[in-house]
Amino acid sequence: MPVAADVYRRVAEADDLSSGDIAFLSLARTRLAGEMPPGDLFDPLGRVPAYPRPAVVALPHEREVAIDAMFALVVTHSCEIDRQKNADVSAVHFDCRLTVAPIVSEAAVRLVGADGTSATAGWAAIEANDPVASLYLPPIADVSELAPDVDPVGWPRSFADLRGLTTVSRRMVAADRLCGLSPAYLAVLQKQLARFFTWRDLARHELVEALVGRRVVGATPLNSKGDRLRVALTADDGSSLTVELRAR
Amino acid sequence: MTRLSAILDERNLTYTTVAARARLQPRTVRQLATGETSIDNVEVGTVRRIAAALSIPVAALLEPDLRSPGDPSVSRGARLSAAIRGVMWSGAATPYLSPVEAGEPDEISDVPADELFAGMAPIDFRRG
Repeated sequence: MPVAADVYRRVAEADDLSSGDIAFLSLARTRLAGEMPPGDLFDPLGRVPAYPRPAVVALPHEREVAIDAMFALVVTHSCEIDRQKNADVSAVHFDCRLTVAPIVSEAAVRLVGADGTSATAGWAAIEANDPVASLYLPPIADVSELAPDVDPVGWPRSFADLRGLTTVSRRMVAADRLCGLSPAYLAVLQKQLARFFTWRDLARHELVEALVGRRVVGATPLNSKGDRLRVALTADDGSSLTVELRAR
Repeated sequence: MTRLSAILDERNLTYTTVAARARLQPRTVRQLATGETSIDNVEVGTVRRIAAALSIPVAALLEPDLRSPGDPSVSRGARLSAAIRGVMWSGAATPYLSPVEAGEPDEISDVPADELFAGMAPIDFRRG
């Protein structure tokens, strides 16, 4: 299980922004008015969590923005953050956006399963970084050891939730940055990002059924294991899924 | 834990009891007590009715102010300290969909990150 000494690193206010920075931010998500996931309007297997304490700003045409102040983890790659700087673009013209994942604290939420029942046992899996959508962040006994101008308070165990990715201004990250991730743990973040964006489980049966009557326009072998071969299929409507074939 | 939840626990009151007194749906009281719906996001009249049902001032139900990111009225350190206390330790127990999914783990879940990326050029590791 990762521990704080191996996971976090101290950052100074003047340090360059980096992937793995943790900052206190205003996070926003646009949606149709009244949508409040988890909710009945969403596929119970595919729904995404709401931010724990959202405020709502109304937009025209029954749209709204849910906003919450949360700590979040920068997941934009450092090479992308530095790309324009390295190309000698003036600082005022830097693309301001950084992609961040909200940090969810054990002390602020109660984990529930898709059926709404408590799922507190999930923390063991989160600690092991088993879920593809989370990066475990261990507790810190005294945050002031990482950020000397912050009070000597603790930091509860938590996780960065890749299901809630959004973009923020890089200046906002710089203004309220608490600490960063160690180089070794950045590699774990990169692994979780690879899993989240490129690797999911086999398609559910109903998705396979939905492919009936469509033309398969692409088949990409992914990997084989024993007598099994996994293949990504792309249909003529652009949808795709992964199936597993047995050699015998 | 929200202030409403603490008051209900202290007085051993159920959501249904308070809802009946306030003439509200029990679901509304439950969502406010659990923090699923912020008390800042409901009509003032709703908060007044709950306060009246409990014979307490409205202010007793309001959660303390959180510091906003970038608030120039306090130092960065004070802002972050208040945010850690107010956000990370809020104790609201808001229901939140677990990231843990059913099913077998994928085949790279147990592969150490350094092994997964072995052979690739270093990424960020030279940054200080």
